[in-house]
Amino acid sequence: MSAPATAAAPQLPDRLLAELVDVLGPAYVLTSKTARYNRARVPAPFPVHRWPERVPDLVVLPGTAEETAEVVRLANAHRVPIVPRDGGTGLTDGAVPERRGIVVDVKRMNAVKEIDTDAWTATVGPGINMLKLNEALAPHGLIYPDDPASYPCSLVGGRIGTSGWSLVGSRYGHSRDLVLSFQLVLPTGDLIRVGDGGGRKTSKSSSGYQLKHLFMGHQGTLGIATEATLKLYPKPEAELSPFFAFSDYDSAHDCVRRLARAGVGVFAGAVLFDEWKVDYLRRDDEAYIPQPKDVRALVCAVAYGNEDEVRAGGRRLMRIARDAGGRYLGDEVSQGDWAARHDRYATPLHGRTREGQVAPMSWHCEDAAVNWARLPAVRREWHAIVERLRERHGIFDDWGMFCYTSADTGVDYLTEIDVGIWEQRLDDEAWAAWVDAKRDIADVALRHGGSISACHGSCREGEVDLVPLELGGGYDVMCEVKRALDPHNIMNPGKYGLHRAYSDSGGGSGPGGGDVGGSGEGVR
Amino acid sequence: MSGTEQGSGGGYRYGEQHTAPPVRRVTDVAVERFEDVYEVDPRLMTLHVAQQLFPNWDTLRIVAGREDHLAWMHRHWAHTVVSGQELLDEIEAEERAEGANGAAP
Repeated sequence: MSAPATAAAPQLPDRLLAELVDVLGPAYVLTSKTARYNRARVPAPFPVHRWPERVPDLVVLPGTAEETAEVVRLANAHRVPIVPRDGGTGLTDGAVPERRGIVVDVKRMNAVKEIDTDAWTATVGPGINMLKLNEALAPHGLIYPDDPASYPCSLVGGRIGTSGWSLVGSRYGHSRDLVLSFQLVLPTGDLIRVGDGGGRKTSKSSSGYQLKHLFMGHQGTLGIATEATLKLYPKPEAELSPFFAFSDYDSAHDCVRRLARAGVGVFAGAVLFDEWKVDYLRRDDEAYIPQPKDVRALVCAVAYGNEDEVRAGGRRLMRIARDAGGRYLGDEVSQGDWAARHDRYATPLHGRTREGQVAPMSWHCEDAAVNWARLPAVRREWHAIVERLRERHGIFDDWGMFCYTSADTGVDYLTEIDVGIWEQRLDDEAWAAWVDAKRDIADVALRHGGSISACHGSCREGEVDLVPLELGGGYDVMCEVKRALDPHNIMNPGKYGLHRAYSDSGGGSGPGGGDVGGSGEGVR
Repeated sequence: MSGTEQGSGGGYRYGEQHTAPPVRRVTDVAVERFEDVYEVDPRLMTLHVAQQLFPNWDTLRIVAGREDHLAWMHRHWAHTVVSGQELLDEIEAEERAEGANGAAP
């Protein structure tokens, strides 16, 4: 780790490397091939045969906000791309360096700085993950209920950069609701704090522009979070997660609406599994649900809170699901499957070839925000897209769909289709077909009045082409904000097609300027 | 070490550990060797996935480890897990009682 910083970073000027070592010390400026390649990708499938295109020139691990700010100032002065990386668990390539440069790995900044048992807040570094934070909160009877499928491995800073979605968000809100304020290094190296107003622990303010949301979900294009103050809840006394089997999709679809609209205070979410997903669960030994063939859809309801309230609300939810035609799957399946949903990244995966043989596939999940009435149509169209893809390229496999309530009334649903991809068999043709399919999937969501993503973000190849269409004039504002805050386009260039922001300014002087072909070409 | 010596000492029996229990077919793609432990049919893993010989204790260790992990996750998120079956039984008992009362003259 203390090898000369110039050893493996040919793209960067020696002077910059020396300055970084001065700021951080040689131990925290990493140039080895393993350090750089290991921070070149995220769990989402990518063209493995093109891995070297996405490798950073070096990796830095700052220990403080001030060190992070100094690193960004240096990158800005030298016009070198800089890419924030937290857990690296995101599914839209936010942490993937598309223009080489410097990856800022924040994992050293993982301290629990304060637990305020009066205001019920915690102030933490961005490099801590929710599971470890909740271990520290447990002795106080408190919990931070931000619960992605990557719960044990994603980090608070990444949840800010993604504006993440939580499995129990219908009860406790999502990252945007749970992060009260945070400290941020802007692309120029200035350090600011954003939240609701100026109060670090304020959940609602009408003072000034509401900047917190602007700096959440930007996928590392507007800065690096270096500290966050979080809203805490009492650790739930009780949990309930019944699963129900249905013989047809329509009844299950109707059931999730009834559950979400029941007005149960402890309701934390409902999940709808379609027939393709049930088939996938039947063939996967890790999640195998031994149910008869007439089971064609599943519904799960989840409740957290005080035990008396969970029991009372749970009885109402159980009655609703039963009256909707659901058959309870029993405690073992219900409790075991739900517990596993906090940790889906640990699940071993294997797909099937068209001949039915097991093949080592990695998981990809396309998501969208869709209203309840549109779920059946979106489901049909998405499966048709993946079926066409699989007919042409046997390295893809349809692993079915989930729909999760995003809010307590069921106003909209995180809608996901899981696709297995045999990455080792990817070539340029198959990758291009995959990108086309992703674009088609996003197009379906928009045609049905939804949003391209409820959870992951939308800056990967394919769907990113449609972001200007989705946001309309809002995308122009997004470009203006980007240009105002990052005049040299150093912060995670190549994402969200934001090189457009510099197209009339000779932006080629920066690392991701207007003359650089971005992933967002070909907007319709 | 002979089998007899192993048996008397309770030691590691290679032959026993590397002989899986009889397969019970569950579906056309899944089999069961140990109770409630479902496995992908090995016939589907002949071309693209290398098969590994597992001693029986290791299979059971992995399953037990998974169960431990899930139990830990429940404790991590809440102090108690409410049984859905218990709630359903309560609902049905109430409905039976209501039905009985309604049927009374």
